[in-house]
Amino acid sequence: MSDVRFRTQEIGSLAKPSWRVKTFAGRPLDDQDIEEAKRWGRRLEVDGHERLLEVLRSGQFGAAELTEIDDWAAVYGIRLLEKAELDVVYDGEQRRTEMYDHVAAFADGFEPRGIVRSFDNKYYAKAAVVESPSVGGPQDVEEFRFVRERTDRIVKVPLTGAYTMEDWSYDEHYSHEGALGASAERRYEGRRRFVVDVARNVILPNVEGLVAAGAEWIQIDEPAATTKPDEVPLVVEGFNEATRDVEAKKSMHICFSDYSALWPHVLELEDCLELQLEFANRDSRELGTGDEDRPGYADTLRLFKEHGYPNVGLGVLDIHSDFVEPAELVRDRILYAVDVLQDPSRIQVNPDCGLRTRSWDVVYEKLVNMVEGTRLAERELNRAHAAPAAR
Amino acid sequence: MELKAYAPGIYPRSEALVQATRDLDRGRTSPEAVDRQVESDLGELVGVQERAGLTLLSDGMLGWQDHFRLLAERSEGLDARPLTRFLDTNTFFRAVLVDGEPRLREPVPAPALPAGRWLAMLPSPLAFSRATHGAASAQLLAANVLAPQIEAYAQSGCSLVVLSDPFLAREQGVKELIASLAELPSSVPLALQLPFGDAGPLLDELAEAPVQAIGIDFYSTSLEALTSGYPKEVMAGVIDVRSSALESPEEIGGFVAELTARNPAGISLSPNGDLQFVPEPIAKEKIARLGRSQSALQEVA
Repeated sequence: MSDVRFRTQEIGSLAKPSWRVKTFAGRPLDDQDIEEAKRWGRRLEVDGHERLLEVLRSGQFGAAELTEIDDWAAVYGIRLLEKAELDVVYDGEQRRTEMYDHVAAFADGFEPRGIVRSFDNKYYAKAAVVESPSVGGPQDVEEFRFVRERTDRIVKVPLTGAYTMEDWSYDEHYSHEGALGASAERRYEGRRRFVVDVARNVILPNVEGLVAAGAEWIQIDEPAATTKPDEVPLVVEGFNEATRDVEAKKSMHICFSDYSALWPHVLELEDCLELQLEFANRDSRELGTGDEDRPGYADTLRLFKEHGYPNVGLGVLDIHSDFVEPAELVRDRILYAVDVLQDPSRIQVNPDCGLRTRSWDVVYEKLVNMVEGTRLAERELNRAHAAPAAR
Repeated sequence: MELKAYAPGIYPRSEALVQATRDLDRGRTSPEAVDRQVESDLGELVGVQERAGLTLLSDGMLGWQDHFRLLAERSEGLDARPLTRFLDTNTFFRAVLVDGEPRLREPVPAPALPAGRWLAMLPSPLAFSRATHGAASAQLLAANVLAPQIEAYAQSGCSLVVLSDPFLAREQGVKELIASLAELPSSVPLALQLPFGDAGPLLDELAEAPVQAIGIDFYSTSLEALTSGYPKEVMAGVIDVRSSALESPEEIGGFVAELTARNPAGISLSPNGDLQFVPEPIAKEKIARLGRSQSALQEVA
């Protein structure tokens, strides 16, 4: 048996640096913004970052300069993930406004309606579907090419899933008329048509374009997956339609959800490498590898064990807290997962979700510890595995 | 039959208040400035409801982040922490951790609304228990947290408390809920609202609940599910808070005519959940249409 080696991966978004936010918002930069660009350029050893500083200091931000700043933000995102020693990287979604708006603003058929609260004082822009959605071509190919050309790591492209687009949109097209007092079957059918249209006519063209451009791995993000537990079959249908006949690794990310609703439906996901899930948010921060130590992991991992499919992307970092998980805590979360699944090859390691709500300083420390904790877990497993042979 | 209408629950904040709370988070403004904006939003919301002619006024719960947190913060033994997806919406609440016997320490202050003319919303005891992942029972939370809060509201002139339970239609538990409702005071009429769920299979059992009205989301429940002569007032969710499309008073009128033909003990009109799920300008227009529907139906009656 070969040594255990877990793959470490990101999930998607990073916060945008202040110099990127302000220049795109037309707000003036101050010395601190430029100092941050300089500090991270040095810390991440970004080749040629002096050019970014020059652009920022110029104070003139026309279309050409904004394009250049966007590119630098992507490079910084890639380098941060590389410097933390992740195996799988992207650009921290630096070019995207936000996962929902990125798609709704690009596709035809959606119209903006305003902002609604997500939680606390966090809000997101919400659109209404007013006709069957469609796109004129793939959306993210240039973004992918830029990343691919600038890293030798594995690249995983995150894409918002069809069900989440449906669930997070207002419906002024599919089933609005006559909805008052209507049957559940009628409502479900309207939602299903919406999901399938987005999967086939918005996401699949993007996936096909990305794979044709060389993308090896597509991650479909479905944070809304269990919002309506009886609609999990629509999540599965959306995934399968959006990736049909595509020759690439395919996985799905879900977070802050009731995972018990996923099975048995997810057994119908076609060729899904793994489900990357949030766990750390609901876990204890104490060390330990017993059931009582790992309340955030126990129930869901048993579902993975019981059903045997798919594999698990194990969320080990709470993305809504500045608490920096010690490497030993990451280690114990992984060791516990191995103990439950009894098969380390079914586990890869990631944060709970995208890290956009945390500062880069916190993110970097968290990711470094995630990788270190993963190495600690591997050492412990490999030592335990080697021990009987040594006796 | 008198036709009442009201808009309980969390109302969306104006863009000005959203900006004020963001500024507060970033240290760019003071709590006092946010309070002033809350007052301004409240004044605007009261005006919208009065112009719409709603029967009772809501304060829009503008200081509440979700249905549980303020109660948890004001109680011994409860702490709101893990971010948890709120069923059926792209929103989250802080699940409630239980680290001792829950007991309301200090009630949430009553809103500054005219006595006898306002309503409040609280979580149902079972929903509250679900927010603790069952760590505290519905009965305990009803007796130690919700009951004293309802009493405090009653003493300040509250005329109706709507208990919201978005979980019941999916996760069952009517018997447990009814047992817990027995712990609540009778000083204020209670309504039980089931947002975003098919109430149909529960209606027979809920006929025994010690509440005046059952709030049914008719965008998730077929009218066919309501039997003739239902013994409770039906608080009919006829405004869809998960849709940006504006309801037509004519369509609502047609629906209420069908509902009336089923002869329930009473009918009131409301949104099917918190209006916070649409942007504030849309919520404002939905309240206006709720009022127009009520007026049109009263004239016909």
